[in-house]
Amino acid sequence: MKARDLMRRDLTSVEPDTLIYEVVYLMEQSGLSTLPVVDEEGKLVGIITEHDLIHAALPEYFDMLHSISFLPNLNQIQKRLKEMAFRPVSEYMKEVTSVHLDDEDLHIADLLIRKRLKQIPVVDGEGHLVGVIRRIDILSRLIR
Amino acid sequence: MILTVTLNPTLDKFYWVDHLPLSLERAEEEILIRARKSTASAGGKGINVSIFLACMGVETVAMGFLAGHTGQIILRDLLEKGVTANFVWIEGENRTNVTIIEKGREYHPVKIHEEGPRIPSHAQEIFLRKYRRMLKRAEYVVLAGAIPPGVPDTVYRELTQEAKEAGVKVVLHAGRRPLWEAVKVGPYFVKPDVREELMVGDMPVRTEGEIIAAGKRAVEYGCQACLISHHVTGDVLITPEGIWEYEAKVPLTKFKNLVGADDALVGGVLYRLARGDKLTEAVRFGMAAAVASAEVEPKMCLAPAAIEHEMRAVEVQFKEGL
Repeated sequence: MKARDLMRRDLTSVEPDTLIYEVVYLMEQSGLSTLPVVDEEGKLVGIITEHDLIHAALPEYFDMLHSISFLPNLNQIQKRLKEMAFRPVSEYMKEVTSVHLDDEDLHIADLLIRKRLKQIPVVDGEGHLVGVIRRIDILSRLIR
Repeated sequence: MILTVTLNPTLDKFYWVDHLPLSLERAEEEILIRARKSTASAGGKGINVSIFLACMGVETVAMGFLAGHTGQIILRDLLEKGVTANFVWIEGENRTNVTIIEKGREYHPVKIHEEGPRIPSHAQEIFLRKYRRMLKRAEYVVLAGAIPPGVPDTVYRELTQEAKEAGVKVVLHAGRRPLWEAVKVGPYFVKPDVREELMVGDMPVRTEGEIIAAGKRAVEYGCQACLISHHVTGDVLITPEGIWEYEAKVPLTKFKNLVGADDALVGGVLYRLARGDKLTEAVRFGMAAAVASAEVEPKMCLAPAAIEHEMRAVEVQFKEGL
């Protein structure tokens, strides 16, 4: 099966200059935890996830301690998030792994597993975002 | 690709009942109506056109505003039907429109339409940016349906201008002031919605003469085609080349659900225009799609063979040149 047959044709996305508070709002309203970032032409240029936002809001020493249980409360994270709120997505988005419309399901599943992705955007020949494939889209197809 | 704009999407709920008591014999009595069947599906004029096109295999993208749990249901239905969705999410809840169809009175349904959520100005700005981006990939754009609270009546005029500047043909399927404001900047194809008021702009459209006068005015503004309903099974097409009368020779008693028939008409016209058909033939197919849709219980007939079959019932007559 090809990407075009598996994908959700949902183009919900943000732009590089979208502000972080708008991203959080969109994630909350749409129920999506991962959003593709597209340029003015609708071409895929990055991805922003809940995980990216949480990680950016954590204290820098989190990487050493791997836990926030030592914090007395969430005030420090809240303060950092409020500082981030009016920063653009471009400062926090990551490079994105994408697939093309005619890529095969095995290749897509391999990328999702190997790169531990929740979803992968699909682009056309010119790089326009045309859909997304979630892990559950492949799982539900395979279990039928 | 055909882009559709539905600024006020809806979850269309249909109830089919054997009997619909509309008056109470005793003041203290409550009315319990048991539906023998019910359905719910994504709706709104532009969304209906997108669903029709996607089912005919045409690439289509639906745009507008989604909100809340109802918005999630609308999105899911669209994606399942093969429509690409590019919506702006807002707070609140999309509207639900209820239609009650009584056995034996199928062509007189009872409808309750909600107003829909207020659209914040910031969300309108985001929509406009997305709209401009999608216009670069569109051949036609359909601007259709009711305007939600918070959005000015001139919105279709602005969206028409944007599309024309981008070289995209505009199909306008709306009513009242939002329609007429946009007509003044010359969209390609106009299908006035005259369900609530038999007026187009400040002109009545009760008689064929009045319909032709209104259509001619639209053509003077630069429209290439104006299709106005004369009665349930008859439409008049006014273009710079002339006037055509369309009549579907079908008894009203065959109709089971008229909701969505007009949207199937617009979808049918676009489907054939995108294939390269002549406008007059495309309208004939659109009329057949409308008739086929009215003859089935679901909102629209999405079976090409059934629509082709109805082509035989649609007669076209050239009336006069302009």
